[in-house]
Amino acid sequence: MAVRRLTVKNIISRVRQTFPEAPETYLYNLINDALLEAGLYRTKVEYAKATTVKDQMWYDISDTGSSVDINKVFRVDFMDSAGDYIKIPRMLDGEILKMDIT
Amino acid sequence: MASNHKHPENDVAWFIVGDKLAIITTEGTDSTSVHSKSGDWKAIDEAVTDGVLIHYYAEPNTVDELSDYPDIDNAMHANIVDYVKSKLYIDRAGSSADPNASGTAMNLSMLHEKQWKDALVKFGTRRRDKIGGLRAVRTFDLR
Repeated sequence: MAVRRLTVKNIISRVRQTFPEAPETYLYNLINDALLEAGLYRTKVEYAKATTVKDQMWYDISDTGSSVDINKVFRVDFMDSAGDYIKIPRMLDGEILKMDIT
Repeated sequence: MASNHKHPENDVAWFIVGDKLAIITTEGTDSTSVHSKSGDWKAIDEAVTDGVLIHYYAEPNTVDELSDYPDIDNAMHANIVDYVKSKLYIDRAGSSADPNASGTAMNLSMLHEKQWKDALVKFGTRRRDKIGGLRAVRTFDLR
């Protein structure tokens, strides 16, 4: 049994029942705005790997500075000596004594 | 290359400030330093290729072809129509010279926006939740 999904074409045709004159580019923009807003409500889970650098504390996770679009990080694993990824704890306050800027 | 941390759950941690992820450790051998001894939090002490696995909620991919499927659960696809219509009705309300037509368009805009918000926020978790089956309720034993 096929899964019921709507393509962009289906969505635009439904909108054009009421707004037949709506420009296609504008509709694309609105659909992408809707997807952006939907992304704020935990709709898509992804994973990414990062390489650590010796004595580097900070790693960029911004949309522009990294290759991934991260909204919220909910878990981080670190590779152990056997090559397995092990969950590491999140420090709640982040107020460590020795701070680094790199 | 694997890491040298045998139990990273005990000596490696993370936190976030703004757009930066900090990876820190208590490991260290420099016993003579003032604030970098073993036990002090400091920057991660080794380079490990793909050493960190980050789990995160991501932004859906954008669409740019008529044949594309929106990158969210298909239960939400029909509600994108509501979002688009709510914005188009706002445009119509703002551009109409007739106050009655403008008011009607505004009401319809709010109706579609409510349907979108309800689908996304009010019922969103239930729609996206993949956990099924009975949920047992165990009452306290008051004996």
